[in-house]
Amino acid sequence: MKHFLSGFNAVFLKDLIAELRAKQVLPSMLVLGLLIMWILRLASSTSSIDLAVTGPAALWISILFSGLLAQERSFSVEKENGCLEALLLAPVDAGTVYLAKVAVNLVMLCVFEIVIVPAAILMFRLEVSDWPVLVAVLMLGNLAISGVGTLFSALVCGAGARGAVLSVVVLAVLMPVMVPAVFALMVVFGAVPAALVGTGALAFVGSLGSALGYMVAFDAVFIAACWLLFGIAVRD
Amino acid sequence: MRLTLMFLSVALLLLSSWIGLTAGRIEPECRNIIYMHVPSSIAALVCFCVLLAASVGYLATSRVSWDRVAAAAAEVGLIFATLLNVTGSIFSRAEWNVWWTPSPRLVTAAVLWFLYVVYAILRISLGGDRGLRARVCAVFGIIAFFDVPMVIISARFMPDIHRAGFSFDSAWQTAAFLPALASMLLLAAVLIWLKADLLAARDMLEKEI
Repeated sequence: MKHFLSGFNAVFLKDLIAELRAKQVLPSMLVLGLLIMWILRLASSTSSIDLAVTGPAALWISILFSGLLAQERSFSVEKENGCLEALLLAPVDAGTVYLAKVAVNLVMLCVFEIVIVPAAILMFRLEVSDWPVLVAVLMLGNLAISGVGTLFSALVCGAGARGAVLSVVVLAVLMPVMVPAVFALMVVFGAVPAALVGTGALAFVGSLGSALGYMVAFDAVFIAACWLLFGIAVRD
Repeated sequence: MRLTLMFLSVALLLLSSWIGLTAGRIEPECRNIIYMHVPSSIAALVCFCVLLAASVGYLATSRVSWDRVAAAAAEVGLIFATLLNVTGSIFSRAEWNVWWTPSPRLVTAAVLWFLYVVYAILRISLGGDRGLRARVCAVFGIIAFFDVPMVIISARFMPDIHRAGFSFDSAWQTAAFLPALASMLLLAAVLIWLKADLLAARDMLEKEI
């Protein structure tokens, strides 16, 4: 455990300090996220559109795409000068490297959201019914996005056209978890009247509680599977 | 051998259609499509299971033959997933008067189709490095497999317009359904076998050049 923590800390701090000093990706994440939301806000400015419905979707779209920037960087920087080989040669379990990278991407997404979520609330005139639930939904979403994105970023970092491949793969794998995620945010922002919860299209997730349950289950499965597969997938 | 099995599959499908159109007929008429729809969806799911097994096999042994089976299973699975969504859409139009509606089973079936398509894109765009492509595809095959249980359970545990299971009124209907199921599974198996051999032949050709 002590060994795990020291290895985890070393990789985690290295990446975080590198990001703080070079500011490689956070500024572009923020600008991309704001641009996406601004464009969607402009597109939904007719009176017939309910902003509480488009707001959560816009928020997740900007989180997903900006998150991809962070994940793509987390292993492409290691590829230069053969850092990845050195990192894997170090007496640290490959799974630990993976978890540290996930933690860095998680921190980046959280910092990003500190700016982007209030911006979304202002732009889309959203009203938050329950702050702790909002934070929980966002954190569960972040965990799924970072977990899957980091694994595939490590896998495709050797390929050409990695950005295109990474985005398609990550979005496809995350689809099942994005459905309850969007639904949960819609409930938090009051877009779903209580009478309609659990009917029609929304039957997919039922209530807010079951949506959160889905996300917890998916996070657990994704993180566990990605953690196990990472060591096998990058071994040579 | 493969040709015989292929003919057997077609014969079984014809037999199923014949029973389905005569004694095993389901009223109203549009519901007869389940003789195609249900077997093709089962075949698409079975292909995903083969993909999972081959992906695990590749990661465990690093043998190229597993990678070929995975590639073949994904390609055949894409065909059946397309068939499942197309027949489902026609059925939905006849039964509910819409081509598509976001019900749990329909959403997860669409996700299934997208995952197969992305697998194909992954194979095409990572063509340069064989080892890398095989590894990435194997990992994707395993992670994407978590959608399969969702397809199966979604209609059972969630309120859905799509029925959870089905039961037949007469033994004739069962008699029409079982050959169709056997035919689809046989066809899937033969196609995977054929495609895997084709890929092996291509590899051999590349090695000689």
